[in-house]
Amino acid sequence: MAELTPKERVMRLLRKEPIDIMPFFSGMGMVVMPGIEKAGFNFPTIHTSAERMAMSAIESARLMNFDCVVIPYDMTMESEAMGNTISLYAESEDILYPTIPNKIWSTLDEVVVPDDILERGRLPILKDAIKIIKEVAPELPIGCWQLGPFTQSGQILELDLMLKGVFKQKEKVGEVLDLMTDMIIKIGNYLQESGCDYIVLREPGVAADLLSPKTFKEFIQPRLTKILNAWKSPKLLHICGQTLPLLPMMAECGADGITVDIKCDVRKGREILGPDVLFMGNIDTYTMTCDPKTPVQTSIDHIKDMIDGGVDAVMPGCDLWPDIKEENMKACVDTCHEYGTKPSPAVGRL
Amino acid sequence: MATQEELLAKLKESVIEYQDDVCKEASQQWIDEGYVALDGIMDGLAAGMEVVGDLYDKNEYFVPEVLMCADALYGGLDILRPHVPEEGGKVKAQVVIGSIQGDVHDIGKNLVKMMFDVAGWDVHDLGRDVPLENFVSEQLKTDSEVVAMSAMMTTTMLGMKKVINMIKEKNPDVAIMLGGAPVTKDVANLFGADGYAESAGNAVSEGIKMIARLREMRSKEK
Repeated sequence: MAELTPKERVMRLLRKEPIDIMPFFSGMGMVVMPGIEKAGFNFPTIHTSAERMAMSAIESARLMNFDCVVIPYDMTMESEAMGNTISLYAESEDILYPTIPNKIWSTLDEVVVPDDILERGRLPILKDAIKIIKEVAPELPIGCWQLGPFTQSGQILELDLMLKGVFKQKEKVGEVLDLMTDMIIKIGNYLQESGCDYIVLREPGVAADLLSPKTFKEFIQPRLTKILNAWKSPKLLHICGQTLPLLPMMAECGADGITVDIKCDVRKGREILGPDVLFMGNIDTYTMTCDPKTPVQTSIDHIKDMIDGGVDAVMPGCDLWPDIKEENMKACVDTCHEYGTKPSPAVGRL
Repeated sequence: MATQEELLAKLKESVIEYQDDVCKEASQQWIDEGYVALDGIMDGLAAGMEVVGDLYDKNEYFVPEVLMCADALYGGLDILRPHVPEEGGKVKAQVVIGSIQGDVHDIGKNLVKMMFDVAGWDVHDLGRDVPLENFVSEQLKTDSEVVAMSAMMTTTMLGMKKVINMIKEKNPDVAIMLGGAPVTKDVANLFGADGYAESAGNAVSEGIKMIARLREMRSKEK
């Protein structure tokens, strides 16, 4: 059975080298309430300190037997560093991720990325969190991520400006996307230099139920390609929503692997990509891991079906919603490890 | 002088082709010619939006196009709506709408809102990032028949369940509509909601289909 550490397993998989068992990992949120509680923190406080971020990530992974830790948790770090104010919902009883309720810029012309962005807001704590994780949990690989340029622009501007701008202000939209692209490259480089083991470019705002494949090709693909080419391996590309029409283009962007969410039929996806592309996904992160009414067996069957459908690793299709049903969550991880002993299309076994 | 058919075609086309100026001009002309304002809304603007919905379903239009069509429609609606006479004594239907706390996106919410605006409802728009209890208090204050909520993020959608419970506890007759990218039909059923729109995109489809049903009902009444 398990011969490799989670870090060895994931790093080998990302190089398409043979592994022992299928890892359960992700490039998106893997922090869960039992881990946060075990570390002794409240949800709103884990986003603002390196130690709380690192320890809640490690405890989540160790309790659930995840094959990775992933930081940061929220999508507002860059926007905050550009001057926006975040809402942490510190008073709320619910689990709410930080957001930017009001943006400082109201037009495409106003966007400026400060030269010293890496020194601003909470971005500096990421290098410290990575350092702590490396010391405390050297067996776990550290995944970091950056939003893609289109989705990131929605964190600093009203998204409808960008969406309509695709037709009405093509050049301006292009300029904003280029500013975001350069910033994302810079922050990704910083994360890699700080020691993250793999990085994910996630661009959920461009699925084929929102933007046309033509717009994707014209506006998005060239920039995703530029970013991925500028980062070191291993690097993954994730898009949520309807991705089947986009998969061939996603495969050309220069990522070492492609990840998708529950709206993508993995069998069809595998057929489109062929057997050699590292392809991962796509757990339903509410029904299978949170819903108190889902029988454990249903979650187990979901994982088996995904593996039979041709994924190289089972991965949550989105951030795990932290308020998990532990029994189902553990069953998902165990099934991935136990059922994933056979070679997958792109990755052999030791 | 343009015939009624010519002007209706112009209203409809201007929505489909997202030409706000043409839509405003045709709406003004419609009023100047003395035609019935509600006919212009339903058989011109809403009919155009119905075609937009088809184009969206066929993957010919995507969200950017639909947003621009909606802008054109509102341009016309702002001109036509004030000329629709209030129905004597009849209380207008009301809806409370908003994106729930933790969610600062409102594209889906605004598209569903359009459907209620076309139908001439009184819309109480709470905006976005709305604390859960505000939906409940606004519903109680206005006695609205429908509460429509959206969440674009998986992480915020569970809040909907709480709102539904709070509202149904106080007023079981309220119809509740859910929409937003992560909300599936199963989840909507599970939460006890009465209506559902799958995504910003499906909010478009669903919203537009509701417009189509309104138009059908109206043609039967005629």
